[in-house]
Amino acid sequence: MRRGLIKWDPQELPLATLEARLGRLRAQMANTGLDGFVIYTNNVRPSAVHYLTGFTPYWSEGLLFVPKSGRLLFATALSNRVAEWIRSTNRVSEVISTPRPGLLIAECLTKEAAQRIGILELDGMPSELFDDLAAAAPTATWVEGSTQFAAARNAIDAAERALLLRADALACAGLDQASTADQADAGALAGSIEKHIRLAGAEEVYVALAPDLAADRRLNRISRSASLAARFAVRVSVAYKGSWIRRTRTYANNQSVIGADAWFKELISGMRAGQSLTKQVSTHLAALRGAGLESWMAESCIGGYPLSPVASSRAPDHDMPAGRFFVLTIALSLEQGPWVGAAPFIADEPSQSG
Amino acid sequence: MGRSMIAGDRRARLMATMADAKLDALIVYGNAWQGDYLRYATDFGILEGQGLAIVGKDGHVALYLDIPFEVDRAELDCPNLEVIYAPDLMAAVDTKLDRLRNHRVGAAPQRLLPRRIAARTKDIDLSDATTFVDRLLMDKTKSEIAALRRAAEIADGGYRVFVDAARPGRADYELIAETESFFRSSGVDDNFQIIGVGGTDVLGMTPPSGRTLKRGDLVTTELTPCVDGYYAQICRTLVIGEPSPAQRAAHAIYREAMEAGIARVRDGVTAADIARAENDVFRKYGLGDYTTSKYTRVRGHGMGLFADSKPHLLETVTTRINAGMALIVHPNTYHPGVGYLVLGDGVLVTRPGCEVLTGTPRELFSVLA
Repeated sequence: MRRGLIKWDPQELPLATLEARLGRLRAQMANTGLDGFVIYTNNVRPSAVHYLTGFTPYWSEGLLFVPKSGRLLFATALSNRVAEWIRSTNRVSEVISTPRPGLLIAECLTKEAAQRIGILELDGMPSELFDDLAAAAPTATWVEGSTQFAAARNAIDAAERALLLRADALACAGLDQASTADQADAGALAGSIEKHIRLAGAEEVYVALAPDLAADRRLNRISRSASLAARFAVRVSVAYKGSWIRRTRTYANNQSVIGADAWFKELISGMRAGQSLTKQVSTHLAALRGAGLESWMAESCIGGYPLSPVASSRAPDHDMPAGRFFVLTIALSLEQGPWVGAAPFIADEPSQSG
Repeated sequence: MGRSMIAGDRRARLMATMADAKLDALIVYGNAWQGDYLRYATDFGILEGQGLAIVGKDGHVALYLDIPFEVDRAELDCPNLEVIYAPDLMAAVDTKLDRLRNHRVGAAPQRLLPRRIAARTKDIDLSDATTFVDRLLMDKTKSEIAALRRAAEIADGGYRVFVDAARPGRADYELIAETESFFRSSGVDDNFQIIGVGGTDVLGMTPPSGRTLKRGDLVTTELTPCVDGYYAQICRTLVIGEPSPAQRAAHAIYREAMEAGIARVRDGVTAADIARAENDVFRKYGLGDYTTSKYTRVRGHGMGLFADSKPHLLETVTTRINAGMALIVHPNTYHPGVGYLVLGDGVLVTRPGCEVLTGTPRELFSVLA
């Protein structure tokens, strides 16, 4: 569940921004002949509804209905007692608490005479909600709408950019808590990093570690005492007001990571739209002597998930569009041992941080 | 009793129940919101993305995950599973189901099963197995109870940290941060926690919204740390400064209601019986309206692999309570004189009654203002 700070701040997410986002989705709907759009949300798949409304469910689930025109309708299984709290973070929707959100949305579709309905991630819609929709709006046609939604939120806006920068600042400050000199226990380190980031107002934090990176490069959440080896890695996944980033750092009690860190910072700051990530990573690798590329993966936010893979060393990508946000994770083999790193970037931004 | 023993016990019960139901395979779905069915079958505590597992009657478990980092975690935490990275989760499992034609397949939880998978009822003998998995989830083994005891003990410790963190001028999310830090270094992977800060303006608990604590505020919280997958809950209320007579009087009613509910818990009663015992106390004091859905959700619920496990304690729920179940009894609701107030203890159902798992005093806590 989400248990960090959840609060709508009109300075951070102006209503005009939400209106512009809605306008882009409605333009996509019009282009593809959709009478309405339905988006499912829970705390695992919150990002699409958050993008349009600013609301993240801390628990439970809901459906957002986007009509061709007029006010949005958010139907949620969260109880009526928290409806006012939902309204305080979601100023652009009608909010209705109901145990059967599907039935309520379907009634609305019928009232609007909406026939061709786009659904974000249709295959993954929980069956009970979909059955309720289909039963209560039997003449409607349901269309997979993920392409339209992704097109509408392709380039990030100024508000999202600022929220991502804030999330990244929290992540960096959290990772600054770790050093090979001070820590010996992975569980204590995870707690310390998480506390630091939550105290700064994060909505959510996931901390994962590879306590002995030389022995195993896989990172896992750790909440028990475990020894930190001379070379370890920490990944933090941080949400601030609905915007998620990841950062990963390798720590070692020698200078071996410094060169890789500098190389990665340069790679991130040099990322450009109009070229594939595959090409940019492989071209840049030559600048790091003795390094072998183990794998890479790029994530972005294109639908309900906060971050999901969009390209990797296993699945080559196309040229990056301008203004798109990514998190790039890279694993290298260095002479001194393995190295992993991850950082966010926005394609074509001249002032990215590495 | 460690995680491997718990997982082994669960797997044995699941296999036996599948055999009784003559199922060739079971499909379970899970995510970080509702992960209990998936955890029961796989022992994997999913954090990001979604997971689907296919459990064969021979005990083989194939776990499909759509986030690569989760695949790493599953391989580390659950080395006995076949873990498959499936970027298109629904398509991968849909294809796998082709091999289960002419087999009897159960699914749980049916209501959350992705539409594409649920649609296979057209060509596969796919039935709703939610009820039988629910039974397994509710009736605990000794190893599961041991995990709940550890979680309850840590819940008590977490509340002490929460009280120590509460002081005027602090923001609500800072209290959560302190508690989470304690949990991370105490073997707690996850925690369900909501909070309320204020007076009669507070109708319920939510995630922190940045409210700053001030003298006279009621600070309510529901702490639910998770140990080896098992969530144990405690609910307490504190006051910033000296509690007012009205706050003390209200708290006394909630304590009487909680203790009436706990006194009713035993093998053979129903969930409704416990809820009614709690609500009768409110009705006795003329507060019956505040036991309705306008002001409160449930009067307690199960504890287990889900923070809001079945059965829900409501006067309309007739589920039989069995020895070996774990429950939180919490008459949490709005009080018209002081605002939203909470009090709840986790209990283990026994034949003659119950054992209270949480040990925090049932007092209205206060911190210096």
